Amino acid sequence: MAISLQHVTKTYSSANGPAVDGLSLDIPQGHITTLLGPSGCGKTTTLRLIAGFERPEQGSIAIAGRTMADNQRWVPPEKRGIGMVFQDYALFPHLNVERNTGFGLKGPDLKKKVQSTLDLVGLGNYLKAMPHELSGGQQQRVALARALIRDPLVILFDEPFSNLDTDLREQMRQEVVDILQRAHATAVFVTHDQREALAISDQIVVMKDGRIQQQGSPREIYQYPETAFVASFVGQSNLLPGTMGTDGYVMTALGPIPCHHTHGRETGEPVTLSIRPDSFEMDPDGELEGTILRTVYTGEAIDALVTLGQGSTACNIWVHIHPEEQVRTGTVLRFTVLPHFVAVIRGDA
Amino acid sequence: MSNSKHPVMGKVRQAWMRHWQGRPPSAGLLTAAFFGAAIMIIPVVYVVSLAAEAGPGAWSRLFTTRVPTLWWNTFALTISVTAASVTIGGLLAFLTLRTDLPGRGLFRWLLAVPLAVPPYIGALAYILVFGPRGLWFQWLGSAPVDIYGFVGAFWVLTLFTYPYTYLITSAALRRLNQNFEEAGLSCGVPYWKVLLTVTLKLLRPSLGAGAVLTALYVLSDFGAIAMLRYNTFTRAIYYQMTGRFDQSAAAVLSLLLMVVTVLVLTVERFTRAQQAFRQDSGTYRKPQLIKLGHLRWPSLVFLGLILFSAVLLPIAVLLYWTVLGWNQGTVDARFWQFAWNSFSSAAAAALLCVLLALPLTYLKSRYPSRSTAALLRIAYGGYALPGVIVALGIMIVYDRFLPVFYGSLSMLILALTVRFLPQSMQSQDAALELVSPRLDEAARSMGQTPLGVLYRVIFPAILPGAAAGGALAFVSALKELPAALLLRPAGFDTLSVRIWMESVEGFYAYAAPAALLLIAVSMLPLRLILNRY
Repeated sequence: MAISLQHVTKTYSSANGPAVDGLSLDIPQGHITTLLGPSGCGKTTTLRLIAGFERPEQGSIAIAGRTMADNQRWVPPEKRGIGMVFQDYALFPHLNVERNTGFGLKGPDLKKKVQSTLDLVGLGNYLKAMPHELSGGQQQRVALARALIRDPLVILFDEPFSNLDTDLREQMRQEVVDILQRAHATAVFVTHDQREALAISDQIVVMKDGRIQQQGSPREIYQYPETAFVASFVGQSNLLPGTMGTDGYVMTALGPIPCHHTHGRETGEPVTLSIRPDSFEMDPDGELEGTILRTVYTGEAIDALVTLGQGSTACNIWVHIHPEEQVRTGTVLRFTVLPHFVAVIRGDA
Repeated sequence: MSNSKHPVMGKVRQAWMRHWQGRPPSAGLLTAAFFGAAIMIIPVVYVVSLAAEAGPGAWSRLFTTRVPTLWWNTFALTISVTAASVTIGGLLAFLTLRTDLPGRGLFRWLLAVPLAVPPYIGALAYILVFGPRGLWFQWLGSAPVDIYGFVGAFWVLTLFTYPYTYLITSAALRRLNQNFEEAGLSCGVPYWKVLLTVTLKLLRPSLGAGAVLTALYVLSDFGAIAMLRYNTFTRAIYYQMTGRFDQSAAAVLSLLLMVVTVLVLTVERFTRAQQAFRQDSGTYRKPQLIKLGHLRWPSLVFLGLILFSAVLLPIAVLLYWTVLGWNQGTVDARFWQFAWNSFSSAAAAALLCVLLALPLTYLKSRYPSRSTAALLRIAYGGYALPGVIVALGIMIVYDRFLPVFYGSLSMLILALTVRFLPQSMQSQDAALELVSPRLDEAARSMGQTPLGVLYRVIFPAILPGAAAGGALAFVSALKELPAALLLRPAGFDTLSVRIWMESVEGFYAYAAPAALLLIAVSMLPLRLILNRY
């Protein structure tokens, strides 16, 4: 493991609860891990704990097998062998690109190293430029070069793309991921943007209130959310109470729903079901009938709020409809449920 | 319509509209702003013209006799005071904000107090202790140092100018983006080295601003330098005017001093343009305090020494002499008459400052154009003008155009206004910046005339800022020495004038109560000044 956190707790003196609460986490070598959560969930504190800008009260942190912080030991940030890319890039405004990149480094081949690192990020011709002369994307690349040049054990990114506008953000995301993969670097990102997390990560760690909610690949997180929080924070979801049935079905007010991800719940147990809007497919022969209450056209799909069922069992469900379909408020449609985006939620606070 | 009738007038009108981007200010506003700027520049123009009229004989006589020494003295004092003052101010800011120094919260406030002590009063206090007949001499029989000359001037000016750098650097340290230091650490550089290679470099603009303010102050100071009998340009100009009644020699020396001042301002502009760093503001985070460890006691001693020398000693000595004076009955009806003279002339000048500043700052915030910028530059340019030069300029102008009023109180009030108009402009400027032009537009759309907007919307909204600017101008005018010395009407002595005269004569029991009163009044708006940084 590149980084290992064991039962780490950190409380700020001004806060009423711990920012990070007994967190244990392993981050694998050569992968991109993303800490995802709303503001105040403890993701940035976790990153700063790894970097050494904060000290944990409890627990231990190891990087590449070396203990960096525990009860006895404390390695200051400059001796941890990390690289960091800040949200505002924090390029030294009084130094040019070359000297920013080589900051704190010495040696006979420094010039060559700076050049090759800047070539890697595509800024080989900007050695003498000052930070304020660069565009947002270029500043980002210098920050990345500065983090990469020392061959760090891990590179930490604190909301690195949030200062860029949408088009550039997607382009930089792809470029940064490419560069990291070429450099075989281990990286930890912090973000509150679920689309970004899904797009760049090998592993996503969803956090809330200083604890981990779920950890897994983007596909696992999206298809099979384990908590109601993850289901609603990462993408849209419909939460439905039900009872475990047999043969991979869950009995709900809408009837039996197929579900392959049940955490081994016993038949008859009460459960909560997360059904992604993508799980509903329009089908004239479908077993569910509903009336459209409202539609939101997003271009990629039509998000429709549909009333399913009748009388006391009626419930409102978000459904994704192919953008080509012509639907309006009041249209009556029939759906089937596909099992791919249905998951039973583990007990959740 | 006018376009077709008068093609030339149409062209002019078009150009005029283009100049104001289609929204020209009213003639009244423009005239008022013009008037404010004119008052600032006319005295300077006449000093320059008088210097130009002085024949080559006068110039060469001055250059062979006086100028080389003055040049060297002014230069040496300015450089050394600036260097010492910036070092002390920067160090104090760092110690009180970024280290675990005990009592730093209290020190942060106390260290700004010397700002309320006019340097000539500081000089008086040091003469009272270390002078030839001072306390030290009385108790121990010999003076430890010769307070007169370079050493005394250097010491006193350093002590009472370090707050400029201290306040500006403190403000910069508070705003400093912590990410820069953390980025340095994440590059594997130890903390002390990050402080030197990153933090110190990022503070360079504020240290530079402190240096410029200090240098400009030293160049313009008359009182402290003259009391401590060190010969610089301001003192020489004063003695040309009062001792030799040679206005034309005074004008030549003034011109030279203005050249030096402009030089300092140019250097500042140049370096500021070079260091146009942007500090993208990250989220604010409290910096980690540096543990002083074994440096704690030396730091405390250093701080204590500064506070003792710049606050405790002057105030204690002045208190001592005030008590002596009180018992001798020096605080009598005459004393209160001087106080009234000071307060009334300063109040008149402050009011004039506020009124003249209003059209200028309003024009700046609502009608930006090249001519607005030029007017503002002229009006602000006066802030670096030494009091002796302003007084000389006013004398020349009255002599040539208003001989009937020569020797009236209006000369002094006008000089004080010229000296301190920029101060009140700054406060109004800041206040106006917070009043959105959308408010004007809202009022206009509800049927208010431009003048109605000014009085019903703008003035009430900026009243606190304008009052603060007036208060600052008032206190500065109260403390002003050279203009009062040179321009007061016969028999109209102010507190600052009395302090000067009694000190020169050695009647310290008369000087000390006046000095203490001035310090006490100057303390009142200290909060305003602290809030500005």
